[in-house]
Amino acid sequence: MGMNFPAFLKYALTLQMRFSNFISQCARFAVDSLPITLTIVGMTVIIIVIQIAPEMVKQGGENYVGMLVTVVIVRELAAIMAGFAIISMVGSSMAAEVATMRVTEQIDAIKVLGVNPIKYLYVPRVVAGTVMMPLVVLIATLFGIICGGLTSWLMSDVSWLNYINSAWYGISVRDIKIFSLKSAIFGAAITYISCCCGYFASGGAKGVGQATTKAVVWSFVTIAIIDTIFAMIFFL
Amino acid sequence: MGIEVKNLTKKFDKKKVLDNISFSIDEGKTLCIIGFSGSGKSTVLKIISGLTDYDKGEIITNDCDIAMVFQYSALFDSLNVFENISFALTERPEFKGKYSEKELKDIVANSLKLVGLEGIEEKYPHELSGGMQKRVSFARAIVTKPGIILYDEPTAGLDPVSSTIIEDYIVRLKEETKATSIVVTHQLSTIRRTADKIIMLYDGKIVFEGDFETLMKKDTPYTKQFVEASVEGPMQIGTL
Repeated sequence: MGMNFPAFLKYALTLQMRFSNFISQCARFAVDSLPITLTIVGMTVIIIVIQIAPEMVKQGGENYVGMLVTVVIVRELAAIMAGFAIISMVGSSMAAEVATMRVTEQIDAIKVLGVNPIKYLYVPRVVAGTVMMPLVVLIATLFGIICGGLTSWLMSDVSWLNYINSAWYGISVRDIKIFSLKSAIFGAAITYISCCCGYFASGGAKGVGQATTKAVVWSFVTIAIIDTIFAMIFFL
Repeated sequence: MGIEVKNLTKKFDKKKVLDNISFSIDEGKTLCIIGFSGSGKSTVLKIISGLTDYDKGEIITNDCDIAMVFQYSALFDSLNVFENISFALTERPEFKGKYSEKELKDIVANSLKLVGLEGIEEKYPHELSGGMQKRVSFARAIVTKPGIILYDEPTAGLDPVSSTIIEDYIVRLKEETKATSIVVTHQLSTIRRTADKIIMLYDGKIVFEGDFETLMKKDTPYTKQFVEASVEGPMQIGTL
């Protein structure tokens, strides 16, 4: 992406940023993305449960509905769906914001005022993404499991107790560690790509639009690649 | 010496935007760089401010802070006026923690007073007129007490009255800060009111160097065409 990545890494790892700036970026994840994340994860889980729960009940597998839904949510669904929601809600707006700063010379102004734009623009955003994404995914996971339980109960008469008991078998410490690491990497990748696409924008309003599109497309592709790599490393 | 530029050359791809230009400006004086659009005026400012690299040449300045006022102000639209003006004092490593909240408020208030805008600290850039935004960007530029102030087309997009006010503040800031200034412009009123010295650029070269009176004598085809704003003459805008 043509920027000084080692310098960025040094600033990010040593948390060289203004705390208030970091908090305001964290708020973007919590406020902007959580409702859409919960909606997407919730709806997807409901669809999956509508498809599988009646079949499993018919086959006498009602004791496994909770486990199956939980495994799907914890291992894949929550992280990837939250990733899509974060890209749409936060990544795109970050890219547009930074690109607008670029085309209106605000980034040049930051440089002339003697402030490092990588430290000021990238670090709080990427650190916020890395910290907040696992939290958003965790909330989405719990919400997804609840949605799955409700749907199983309403559509297929799987009792809550049965569902929750079964769901416990779908959760392992190893899966939670993998899911936390994967979500943090998703968060870092989405915010970093969005900042980069914005930072190197050019050409006015058209450039802002192109930077936003580029950020969304590259973020989607990148989290798909990261997800595949995780699946191959940990679940093959 | 305020600023000395020696044999400055800058190419974008294969096109020479600045071709071996040299000029100097005394400390505390104001140089106006004039010329038609695309003649390389803003590139000179971007090179002096460190925003753009150059291919050849030398720029000698006293070891001082350089501030720049951008063509469209470039205020940070997510920050209010106070945060915009105090930005360098709160974000630059050498200033971090140096000033208390009260000192910052005083510095910002004094900077705003210098540009005739008091009590607007809480306003956001979108709540200000173009002229006010420009003056806030002046206040932001002087807050670090720079030795050099660069103005990129400071009156662009402003009505004649606002332009006059901005020109007055350029002169006033020069007197108050004793900073060496470079003003990039193509407006005769700005040149007349602010310039101690003028250079005219065309096709990357200096085609005129002198003061306002000499410019107005229209002794050369370049100055004649510029002052008369004529399409006829040696400077062809379409070729730039």
